[in-house]
Parts: sequence; C-alpha cells; structure tokens
Amino acid sequence: MITTLINYAERGNVLSVPDALKNAGFTIMVVFAVLCLIFIIISIAGKIFSATSKADKPAAETAAPAAAPAAAASEEEFSSGSLRLKGCDEKTAAMIMAIVSDNTGIPLSELVFKSITLVEDK
Amino acid sequence: MIEVISDLWSQSGIANMTWQQGVMLLISFVLFYLAIKKQFEPLLLLPIAFGMMLTNLPWPGGGIFHPEWFEGGINWAALGGHGVNAAGVEVEPGLFDFLYIGIKLDIFPCLIFMAVGAMTDFGPLISRPSSFFMGAGAQFGISFAFVAATLLGFDAQGAASIAIIGGADGPTAIYLTSKLAPELLGAIAIAAYSYMALIPMIQPPIMKLLTTKKMRQVKMEQTRPVSKVEKICFPVIVSVVCILILPTVAPLLGCLMLGNLFRESGVTERLSDTAQNALCNIVTIFLGTSVGATAIGTNFLKLETLKIIGLGLAAFAFATVGGLLIGIVMYYLSKGKINPLIGAAGVSAVPMAARVASKVGQKENPSNFLLMHAMGPNVAGVIGSAVAAGVLLSLFG
Repeated sequence: MITTLINYAERGNVLSVPDALKNAGFTIMVVFAVLCLIFIIISIAGKIFSATSKADKPAAETAAPAAAPAAAASEEEFSSGSLRLKGCDEKTAAMIMAIVSDNTGIPLSELVFKSITLVEDK
Repeated sequence: MIEVISDLWSQSGIANMTWQQGVMLLISFVLFYLAIKKQFEPLLLLPIAFGMMLTNLPWPGGGIFHPEWFEGGINWAALGGHGVNAAGVEVEPGLFDFLYIGIKLDIFPCLIFMAVGAMTDFGPLISRPSSFFMGAGAQFGISFAFVAATLLGFDAQGAASIAIIGGADGPTAIYLTSKLAPELLGAIAIAAYSYMALIPMIQPPIMKLLTTKKMRQVKMEQTRPVSKVEKICFPVIVSVVCILILPTVAPLLGCLMLGNLFRESGVTERLSDTAQNALCNIVTIFLGTSVGATAIGTNFLKLETLKIIGLGLAAFAFATVGGLLIGIVMYYLSKGKINPLIGAAGVSAVPMAARVASKVGQKENPSNFLLMHAMGPNVAGVIGSAVAAGVLLSLFG
C-alpha cells in the first residue's frame, strides 16, 4: 500500500484497474475496521455505564428508604414494553407522543409511553 | 455620437461575454429554480447558484475570482494586489479570491462540521452501536465510484474526490476535493448537494428492490435510554480513536465532535447555540457562494462534469445498496428484529436519509415509526464518510 501511495501521490497518474480495486478495497476495509473498533469501545462503555448505574441504584435506595417506592415505580414506568391504545388510533397516538416530546423537550427515544386512552367528552 | 455608443458597447459585459459564460448563467438560473421552486437543499444550492452567476458575469478589469491563484498553494502576492489573471493582465483581487481562502485552508468545511456536530444527537447510535456497521456498509458507494471514476480516466486524486460524493456528505466532499482536485470542486459540490436533495427519489426504488415486504414491515423495539455521561464520553472516545488511527481526519472529525461536546456537556449552551445557528448560517453563505464561484465556464463545461454527475448518481445508489445489504445481514442475525430499511440511512445526508427510511417503512405499515432507529446508521454514516475521506487523503494527498 505504501508503494501505491508513492506512485500515485502526484497529479495526473491514472491508476491501473487492479490498483484501483486494491485502493477501493483498502478504503472500505479501514472504514469497517475503525467503525468496528468504535463499536467495541462504545458497547463496552455502555455496559460499564449500565452496570454502574444499576450498582448506584441499590445504594441510593439504602440511603433514602423513603424514596424507594418512588424509584421502583419510576423504574417500572420507564421499562420498555408495548404501548396500549384505548379508543385511540395509531396516527393520533403518534401525534400525541410527538407533541409530548416537543413540549417537554425530552427526545422521543427517551420517552416511554405505557398507554394512551381516549377521554370522551360528557 | 456613434463612436461613443460603440465605445460603450465594447466596454459592456454583453460584448465581452463568452459562450461558456452564457451557458453557465443559464445553469445558475436552473439551479435557482431547483433551489427556490423545488426546494432542493436551498440553503446551499441558492448561494452556490448565486456565486456561479456572479463569477460568470463578465467583469471589467479582471474578475471576482481567479482560480489560477490557488493552484498548488495560495498566491499571497496576487491577493495583496500584485496578481495577473489567466490572460497575463495585472488585475486586482476579487471578493471570492478572499472568501475562497476559507475553503482552501479547510476552515469552512470544518466549521460546518462543528455546526453539524452541535445539531446531532448521537443517542440512537450509542443505544444501538451495531448501527456503526450499517454506516460503514453505506460507504461502499465510495469504493465503487472510485473504481468507476478510474475506469473513466480520472487520475487518482480526481477519482478519490468524485468517489466521496458517495459519502453523501457535502462538507466532507468539499474538504477532500479542495485538497486533492480543486479544479473539480464546483462540479462535485453541485452533484453532491443535488443528489442529497434527490435522496427521496433515488433511495426508495432500491429499498423496494432489495428487501421483501416482510422485512420492510418489521417493527423495531425501543432502544435503551442513553445517560448524559455516555453522550459526553462519546465525542471524546470517537475523536481519540479515529484521530489516533487516521490523523488526516483530525480537522473534520475533531470539529464534528467538538460541536457535539458543546451540545452534550450542558455547560456551553451559548457556544452550542452559536455553532448551531449563527456560525452555521454565516459559514453556509461563505461556503456556498465561494464553491459556486469556482464553477467557471471554461473549467465547468467539459465532458468531465457530465461524467462526475453520472458517477455521483452511481455512488449514491451503491451507497444505498451497501447500507441495505448490511441491514439485511443484521435482519437475519437479529432473527428479524432489525428492519433492514434503516441500513439505507447509513449514507450520511442527515436527516434526509433517515426520514426516507422511515417513510418507506411507514408505507408498508402505517404504525411503524423507524425515524429514531434510522438516525443511528445515519449519524454513523457521517463518521464513516469522514473516515473514508481521511483514508483517501492519506493515500493520495
């Protein structure tokens, strides 16, 4: 690859087809290698952060027992699960979710909805 | 009296206009139409078109831009007022001679990347890091276009600059081309931004061709929430890893991640706001007009430009194919939990490509909302194209 670099660093040199294929292959391989490395690091970091936050939670519960039910409720509230729609179509539900996200400033990826229920006017 | 009118005529722009300038003016009018009426990336296409129009109007006593002063390096003496134009006549520097310094010295593309970083939420990518593979797969268009451009007779630098159109990332394309093949800058920038605007037309047929209805209907599970600490660490980790391996990407990727750190740190609200709004808008004006100014008729109206436009389209199409193929592999590996359509969003073009993936998914299943899932590969593609640019720069710079 160093030889290729020296040969073609000057303008005006058209690569041969094998050299072009070699350089194209090398480029995509390096892209995959670098992104794969970041993938590994981010995955490991994510697991460490998740483990740390889980370890912190029991400690917080011990320190403030009164807050424990609230924390448990919060955890349950934010656990992933399917959204239940009662009397509300999916399009309206999507609009409601988008409006809540916009008004609260919380990204949709961080909001979890348990159910959306239509309240009838009396 | 006739002599006066004759003098007036001979000094007028109309008498001094070449056919190339006339054609370029018409092309700039077409770009105005596409930007204003069709809204094809108007924020960039409009200043590009205006820069193109200005530079191709016949200017008495020289011109508004002199590309010959930037061949090799910057001719600082000419910019100081001691320059001659292509015809050998001593002329004063024009406005775009000064603005173009920002491109030649990589300032504008890097500042745009800082703005992009400040506007980007890497949360979807952090919560599903496997999206990196789809972002990498979509860089296949770069490799394909590189080989195709070589076959069409472009030298290594020209082929690398054309290939980067497949990265679907305007600032990266401008950054690499201004370093490797500055004479192709106008055509490459126009092709890159035009095709980005055409993504809703280019991608859906390819998506439908490569995926089954069952694949397109896959509803993806919500990803885990990402903590603030993870979001703060992400730009630092990516900068260190990428720049250690490929120092040539430091200006682009460093600015992208700096902008993102402004956003995520939570302590530089003003800097983040400036990068996202005022700075971004100012630099966009300078970048667009100076890129447009490089499209001078004698350089632009060549067969090469048509080849670049064709290769750019092929690069975009194969980038989509690459992303989709990795998406399909991940669909099988995840036992049908990942919708392969989000792979197509691996071509950068944030957030247009993610929107298209979401829209195509929603056509198959109206209750399917893929946007947030597609944002992962989409922002991975930005990093992937910057890395690809760094590799090409190392090889041919």
